[in-house]
Amino acid sequence: MKVDLVIAGVGGQGNLFASEVISRYALGNGYNVLGTETIGAAQRGGSVVSHIRIAEGMIYSPLVPMGRADLLLGLEPVEMLRHSGRLSSQGRYLLNMYKIPTVMSNMGLDHYPSDEEIEGALASLNVSGCTIPATQRAYNLGNALLANVVMLGALCAFSSFFDRQAMRETLATAATRKFQELNLTAFDEGFALACQRTHSSF
Amino acid sequence: MAIQKRFMMGNEAIARGAAEAGVRVVAGYPGTPASEIVTSHLEFPGIHVEWSVNEKVALEIALGASLAGVRALAVMKHNGTNAATDFLLHLNYTGVRGGLVLVSADDPGGNSSQNEEDTRILTHLYAHLPVLDPSSPAEAKQMTQAAYELSERTELCHVLRPVARVCHARAAIELADIPLASPQPLFTDDRSRFIMSAVVEKTAGGQMRPVVRHRWLNEKGRQLLALAEASPFNWEEEGEGKTGLVGCGIGYAYIKETEQMLVRKWPVLKLGTLPLPRQKLVEFARRMERLVVYEDTEPVVERMIKEILFEEGIQVQVLGRSSFLPGEGELSPAVILESLRELDPNLPADDARVPPLSLPLPLRTRTQCVGCAYRGLLHVLQGVVRKTKGIVTGDIGCHDMGSFPPLELQSTIYCMGSSIPMAAGLAYSGLGRPVFAIIGDSTFFHSGMLGLINAVYQGVKMVVIVCDNATTAMTGFQPHPGSPVNLRGEQVLPISVEKVVRALAAEGAPLNGDRQGPEGGAQVQTVDPYQLSEVKAALEKALTQPGVSVIIAAAPCYLLSRREEVTPFERRPVRVNEEECTGCLVCINDFGCPALQAQDGGVAIDPVTCVQCGVCADVCRVGAIS
Repeated sequence: MKVDLVIAGVGGQGNLFASEVISRYALGNGYNVLGTETIGAAQRGGSVVSHIRIAEGMIYSPLVPMGRADLLLGLEPVEMLRHSGRLSSQGRYLLNMYKIPTVMSNMGLDHYPSDEEIEGALASLNVSGCTIPATQRAYNLGNALLANVVMLGALCAFSSFFDRQAMRETLATAATRKFQELNLTAFDEGFALACQRTHSSF
Repeated sequence: MAIQKRFMMGNEAIARGAAEAGVRVVAGYPGTPASEIVTSHLEFPGIHVEWSVNEKVALEIALGASLAGVRALAVMKHNGTNAATDFLLHLNYTGVRGGLVLVSADDPGGNSSQNEEDTRILTHLYAHLPVLDPSSPAEAKQMTQAAYELSERTELCHVLRPVARVCHARAAIELADIPLASPQPLFTDDRSRFIMSAVVEKTAGGQMRPVVRHRWLNEKGRQLLALAEASPFNWEEEGEGKTGLVGCGIGYAYIKETEQMLVRKWPVLKLGTLPLPRQKLVEFARRMERLVVYEDTEPVVERMIKEILFEEGIQVQVLGRSSFLPGEGELSPAVILESLRELDPNLPADDARVPPLSLPLPLRTRTQCVGCAYRGLLHVLQGVVRKTKGIVTGDIGCHDMGSFPPLELQSTIYCMGSSIPMAAGLAYSGLGRPVFAIIGDSTFFHSGMLGLINAVYQGVKMVVIVCDNATTAMTGFQPHPGSPVNLRGEQVLPISVEKVVRALAAEGAPLNGDRQGPEGGAQVQTVDPYQLSEVKAALEKALTQPGVSVIIAAAPCYLLSRREEVTPFERRPVRVNEEECTGCLVCINDFGCPALQAQDGGVAIDPVTCVQCGVCADVCRVGAIS
């Protein structure tokens, strides 16, 4: 039994918090966990990637090798596509459809892919996946920064490895007291969202 | 009793190891990937923890404590080890008393650095100190603990060289008790050791002391060889075939990963110490036809192995970073897999991957945060630089992102503190263009002040801009001497950048070389970088000065302020008036706030990311943002 998971996003999207909750959840269920992240420019709009490796046996590399990820979580579509090479042909993706243009694409010096291009690229991966408007939903709840938590909720509807109730409890202990209620609401919204979107094959 | 475990970062594991070993003094300077090693000590009572002004100072502090017999830790990233090298090349000769560990964290691949370095060269091949190279967070902790024992047994500073992937890896780590008591500090003189000087040693037949101490260090090297042989951090694993894989530090973890992926076992020699366990290596090599050495990043162990095998007369092919593997960049399971396939084309192909993307993806460069005071400053500076054909030299810190698109302002970025001297050199060259040096506050204290002193002393005509946000923002808001608080959370009197600059700048003194002439020295102005007109006026005034002119752009870091629930500016909710917007895109091309987005020939403000600093309203030339 192993789950290799990669979370890709942009600095400030709460990538590391999501990775922390997932890791704690897996540890709480008795698994070995090893992970790492690229955080050099985390707070300044650069790309941020977390690797989380969950297994019953020994894990050596903190990096998920190319083509080995079971789950790819995208907090942003271009960042998820950038790391799609980590995904196994048997893997699946869960994407927050919230585009964050790059500085260069804002300037018109670089092309940020259109919705159609993104959909085409997702289809070309030839794996199953689910796209949800997590940031939009978090924004409606009053704080766009909760998109990561909406994604955690969605992950529980998307993958049977993650038990909704246990994950919710892990989240409650990881979140600061002040934002606990809001976090749990965002989590539940994410779960409901993904339930609507995921196909029967999940 | 069940073993207590906690999920933690490699850096926390290193700190935990030091604390369990009874460390009493911890000093370092912030830098990815090492920063958390210092801050993680805060949770343990009875340890003095500090952010020192730079890495050399941190190492000097650590040795001072060690000479009083207590255990000490100095923490830095590879660039910092460069800065501390002068002192390192002295403490190797004197040795230590209380256990001393230097953490020199490398960043193979340069994911968070200006360069990629292998500080094993500096610390082991050059300074002749023993180095421990961990393959995982758990081993990093064990090595830290062992390093204290070994340091006291050998009287040598021990170096822990974790790579970023170990520092930033997260794993469940076994905990042990932290000793509350530590030896009573005691200092006794030993001038033959601790006075490093060119003096004649009577007891050594009139030899010079540096030669005597050098011999002492060389003799220690022989003691270290025996310790490496017995070290639990080096071992051998049986496997199929005659190609032996040598895994150094993280290289071992990737070898094991590759073995799991391919469900195959190679003969493996796992190495974690420098010097190498010579006998172990020789015995392993004798049974092999070929060795492949996996190490980050330079062929250090590979060349040491070649030397040993040559001396032993063993004919074995040794492959590694010097030619067979890439000579640059970080190791990964992919690098190992590819190299093994090259040696054995019969290895199963990796068909598990998804098809490669055909869609080109836009690159994501770093930029200032939304709300950052430096964006407006850099915008105004860019305007002045364009008009005057000026050149800007940059330094390390958040302002350095002005060198990326859209601003592309700084023409140079090297290492900590190089901006001011490089600008002076450009001025001396006779180029005849105005020169501007831009440096942050933490960097200014770290090593920027000396460049300013020199520039003022030489009377260079140049503009120096000190970005003062009262924190080391780039690496995660660590306090520095200009902050109102220290790492331990104690309120302190901040050392004012402005007062220091005014003192260094000899403000009001006669012009250099002209004692009868007008007042020279340097001019010092302080501006609020959120006020663009103020910045512009200061820059224009600065350019009229005959010598050094310093502008201090002082405003707290927005992100740090937000954490403390204050705002360093008056909130101005802004919107784009579509009828007045001419689509000139100055706000995007010459300012580049991520909350502004080009849209249908105009500009839109993203309400999710905008923090209402309102600076874009001042940037807009036609008043379309208000």
